[in-house]
Amino acid sequence: MALPLYYNWRNLQRRKLSTTLTFIVVTVVVVVLCVLLSFTAGIRASLAATGTNLNLIVLKPGATAESTSVLVPDEIGRLVQTPGIALGSDGSPLMSRELCVQTTVPRRLSARDKEPAPANVAIRGVDPIAFDLHREVRIIDGRSFQSGTMEIVVGKAAHDRYEHTNIGDEIVLGRMENRIYKVVGVFDAGGATFESELWAPRTSISDSYLRRFDSSVVMRLQSVAATKAAVEFINGPTVQLEAKPEPQYYEDLSKKTQDIVVLSTILVSIMAMGAIFAVANTMFATVDGRRREIAMLRTIGFGKWAILVSFVVESLLICVSACSVGLVLSLLAGGVKQDFLSDTTWTVLAFEMKITPGILVAAFMLSVIVGVFGAITPALRASRMRIIDALRKA
Amino acid sequence: MPLRVVYLYRNLTRNLSRTLLTCCAVALPMTIYVLSMAVIKGIDRFLDNSAKQLRLVVGHKTSIINPLPRGHRAKIEALDPTHQRIMSICGVRWIGGTVQNEPHPLSTLAVEPDTFAQTFSDYYLTTEEMADWQRNRQAIIVGRATAQRFHWNVGDRIQINPSVPPYTPFEFKVISTAPKAIDPITNICRLDYLEELTKQAVTIVPEDWKLQGWVSFFFVKCGSQADVDHFRVAIDALFAHSPDETRTQDEKTFINEFIKQQFDLPRNLMILASLTVFVAIMAAANTMSMNLRDRMNETAILKSLGFSGRVIFGLIQTEGLALCLSGGLVGALTPYVLFTYSPLRNFTVPLIQTLEIQPIVCVQAMGIALVIGMLASAWPAWVGLRLPVISALRNLE
Repeated sequence: MALPLYYNWRNLQRRKLSTTLTFIVVTVVVVVLCVLLSFTAGIRASLAATGTNLNLIVLKPGATAESTSVLVPDEIGRLVQTPGIALGSDGSPLMSRELCVQTTVPRRLSARDKEPAPANVAIRGVDPIAFDLHREVRIIDGRSFQSGTMEIVVGKAAHDRYEHTNIGDEIVLGRMENRIYKVVGVFDAGGATFESELWAPRTSISDSYLRRFDSSVVMRLQSVAATKAAVEFINGPTVQLEAKPEPQYYEDLSKKTQDIVVLSTILVSIMAMGAIFAVANTMFATVDGRRREIAMLRTIGFGKWAILVSFVVESLLICVSACSVGLVLSLLAGGVKQDFLSDTTWTVLAFEMKITPGILVAAFMLSVIVGVFGAITPALRASRMRIIDALRKA
Repeated sequence: MPLRVVYLYRNLTRNLSRTLLTCCAVALPMTIYVLSMAVIKGIDRFLDNSAKQLRLVVGHKTSIINPLPRGHRAKIEALDPTHQRIMSICGVRWIGGTVQNEPHPLSTLAVEPDTFAQTFSDYYLTTEEMADWQRNRQAIIVGRATAQRFHWNVGDRIQINPSVPPYTPFEFKVISTAPKAIDPITNICRLDYLEELTKQAVTIVPEDWKLQGWVSFFFVKCGSQADVDHFRVAIDALFAHSPDETRTQDEKTFINEFIKQQFDLPRNLMILASLTVFVAIMAAANTMSMNLRDRMNETAILKSLGFSGRVIFGLIQTEGLALCLSGGLVGALTPYVLFTYSPLRNFTVPLIQTLEIQPIVCVQAMGIALVIGMLASAWPAWVGLRLPVISALRNLE
């Protein structure tokens, strides 16, 4: 026969201070876990939302990112022969030449900044066909730029984070900072990294930055099945460039976040162990303070298992309720805007911290582990207590 | 006095499992505190070294990826004909790079060989290494952490695939692992070697992008802090309204800008360290309140025997301090020993790579543990001090 849950609940209330302090310890550990993991989840969500398997991104072999890749017109010309390339309504290959440059833009002032910190922001020079390939990109405010003009559209995340990105603002770009571009629209890209970028006509950017080459080519395939043949052709002797499905390219860029995951795991593991000791301490005190009560329970017929389970349940009550509060507090971190500088692209990626279902499950599991491991030894001690001794000592 | 010590010892050992669990509950947050502070101090040391070197970093005004013409160097040098205020200038090109079958990018810089040693005197190259550097165009100084990671030794021939044109693998000869350099990861090679390979490259690269005569940054070594302040403004003024305008910062500000853009690690770790200290306070306070509760009768008897409230206050405070100091000691010394004497010393951390735990951080942690002990036992000690003897004795079981 199991002890009723109400019994555990009443016992927790008898030691209010101890229960509260243990509750706070577990809550803090859960909050730290969620916040640390939400950084990684935010970055990964942004990178994972970028690109489709139908698109191939083509770079110079050896270049680690678009920002360091140089493609000349000769090479790009050879790409039209790629097997399996999709054709547009006018019969021309769906292929977008893209030029990536960077500029330094001040961040919008936050409460803790004395002066706006600069951010290294990516500018993507594209032709109108780019919108046919990057279908996730859609103008949500204003309009798109017109080819050959000094107009620019800004990603939603860039618009939120950086100065001079409101519609109608003027932003000075160019190698000599002598070209004034007018912001004419804001675009959404379904959370993809493009939202951290500024997009303008390729020819205008090429002229403003004195670049006579492109950084990358994105091409649409007729089907995902055509990927293997297309990649082999592009990587082969005819073209001698390097092609990857878009998601794979962005997955490679997200490897940097592995460091954060490792660091978070180590720190949270140590903190969780601390929490286990705190819970164990409380539970030992609970067992010591209730020796007579435990003996009485045994005398009236509750078995060893019932006692053991009861103490574990009591510990779980503290930990799971602390976890719930921790999760609610962590949800406040969800949606907080952050950015980080990639050491591969040397541009900032603006992202929102995300509390994903995976993180919620991880936090819940952590609280269960802390609860069970913290309670198991005191619970065993309670269940193994000799009835006669306990009654005599009491 | 000895009686109090005995009483304290008995109190700490009468419930050994509680004492040990509290020690651990304080020790583990202290371990995180020490690790976090070690990273923060590592970054601070890095920045302080940069500040001490009196170097300015001159980059392109519009973006860090836009190169500057090497001709700028002579113009900057001309700002100080005496060569007393501008000691040396070294042009630097970022080439990044990867090692075959290793996706993680390297940090590699190609530098003007003639002025490197003088501008970056904090690399402490020996006379022999200097001679090798001057004699061999393929010379490379590899960061000691990078050397350790790839098992590179002085004299080895290594290959690095640059992330910039011409993209073809470069062969280098390791001449030093810069054991005394503050930066343990960056590799340094010669700019003339890079330019020669780029010029000869068969890879299709536009002529203007072979970047002959261009650098990413100039590092300007100044004679004094006043010179740093003066030339930071003077250099930008010199190139104002030119096709390649500059943005000049002192090296510390330049590096700090990167750090802040990479998760602002020092700030976030400081928040984490504060939270862990808070957790330790909660854990210790829990134990002290449980101790007080269990010994309420005993405290009442002590008071009725004539021990003053101040003595009771002192006993409870001392117990809290002893408990937390033991936890702090274990929490601080464990990471110190592990990261100094075990294979964990090769553990890499973002930005600073090698985690060096300085004794001062451990001392700080123990100081904080004492404060935790004081705070955690403050309320129980206060209750002990004010305990009304009659009512406490009335509740005697």
